[in-house]
Amino acid sequence: MIRFEQVSKIYPGGQKALTEVNFHLQRGEMAFLTGHSGAGKSTLLKLITVIERASAGKVYINGHDIAHIKRQHVPYLRRQIGMIFQSHHLLMDRSVFDNVALPLVIEGFSLGEIRKRVAGALDMVGLYGKERHYPIMLSGGEQQRVGIARAIVNKPALLLADEPTGNLDPKLSMDILRLFETFNDAGTSVLIATHDLGLIARMKYRTLTLRQGRMIGGEADIVESLSD
Amino acid sequence: MSPSSLTRSKLPLSGRIVMFFIRHIQHATASMGELWRTPVSSIMTMAVLGVSLSLPAALQVLVKNVENITHSWSSAAQISLFIDGGRSEQSIQSLIARIKVYPEISDIKYITRAQALAEFQQQSGFGDALSYLDENPLPAVVVVTPSSRYSTPVGARELLAKLEQEPEVSFGRLDIEWLEKLQALVNVLERTVFGLAALLILAVVLVIGNTIRLAIMNRRNEIEVMKLVGATEAFIQRPFLYTGIWYGVIGGTLAWLIINLLVWFLSGAVTTFIGLYGSNMQLQSLSFSELLQMVCAASFLGWLGSYLSVRQHLRAIEPS
Repeated sequence: MIRFEQVSKIYPGGQKALTEVNFHLQRGEMAFLTGHSGAGKSTLLKLITVIERASAGKVYINGHDIAHIKRQHVPYLRRQIGMIFQSHHLLMDRSVFDNVALPLVIEGFSLGEIRKRVAGALDMVGLYGKERHYPIMLSGGEQQRVGIARAIVNKPALLLADEPTGNLDPKLSMDILRLFETFNDAGTSVLIATHDLGLIARMKYRTLTLRQGRMIGGEADIVESLSD
Repeated sequence: MSPSSLTRSKLPLSGRIVMFFIRHIQHATASMGELWRTPVSSIMTMAVLGVSLSLPAALQVLVKNVENITHSWSSAAQISLFIDGGRSEQSIQSLIARIKVYPEISDIKYITRAQALAEFQQQSGFGDALSYLDENPLPAVVVVTPSSRYSTPVGARELLAKLEQEPEVSFGRLDIEWLEKLQALVNVLERTVFGLAALLILAVVLVIGNTIRLAIMNRRNEIEVMKLVGATEAFIQRPFLYTGIWYGVIGGTLAWLIINLLVWFLSGAVTTFIGLYGSNMQLQSLSFSELLQMVCAASFLGWLGSYLSVRQHLRAIEPS
């Protein structure tokens, strides 16, 4: 699903964010990406969604090298990826329904289909019946779940989450992770960037660790995945 | 999911085509609603556009009316043929008979020496002075009205040259110099109108471009989110383009209304003024078809202004 081959990223100004990173996330796999702040987690996610482009090496999504993807193809790539942010990036002047419906509106679904899918997505995250609320009326955990509903409403093959539990208490964090597990059970590949090690320890998934821009965890998996 | 599906939509082609039109209608109405939601600033912008557009339109009306007037004057251009003093009444009649068949001539009026004298006495105020003269000093005059094709300055001059060849004609006179001057003046006026119109149209494009730029800046956050969830630039820019078109449509209509009010306000005074010159010409305003033209042109300007703005500013907004 995602494959990095010798990927380096140097920001303008010379700051080295990633150095020769290799890893492979299998289709249908769920994994954690950890590391201290500034280790390069966010940069790695930005490379996958082409918010930034790699300075060297190759990034494959679905077998496509996206390092040199054309500008006008980027939106279509992003439609295949559900993204969840720590600062959930919701539109505060739009209702929950409008926020969740946005990817579907962009894709061009009919209103009937949009209603159906938005209801389904909100049901999955436990916000059914709050379509008409505005994000400001919801708690932090609920806002995060609106972001998750928006990420999954288009049934993406890949789900990326950047510190999805950053502002939440342990109980809510666990709920959110359970939610990701259900999506993963349904066949979605999931990559979660987090520095909440206690959370990871309680779950059985592979952990990719970044330290100062280098991948130091899950080496065995990488060798295995590169050989196939 | 195959690799090639990376850039493909999840909808079938027919559904995409239908949704394309539905989206356009939705964006058009939504951007109208957006304007409605901020009435004060929208009205201000539209008023600026209306006034800016009404100036070139007013100049257009002016040119149209001046052309109308000069056209009616030039078609009334007449050639006066002064007859050689020694010619008999008979030879003058034969001259008239000969030139009557010219296709260039639409009408002939013969003024005998006696008639000319009577007219002169009446109009000049020198009537008493004339009575001291022994004989009538005035020649007989044949006034020729050229057909419409020969009533232009060039055509009338040609005709005059031809008529002067006639032996009975002492000389002919065509008073078209003032007509040529008037036409030159109208040309200057037209040029001025075009120049000013170009400047004002530029102003309209800039005003709309700047308004749209502010709208883009206001919705920066929203644009970032839309880009993150996979909106194409075409999709993001469409509401802004429709906003520009709406500004144009309403600005153009406003300009048309302003012009009609102005003409209505002026028409009484102008009719009196023209009436003093013995004409009953009406002041022309803008017709309904000109309203459509204006609205079309204005909406194009609106689109152009917002397109230029969107091109420049939407690209600069990228999620980070």
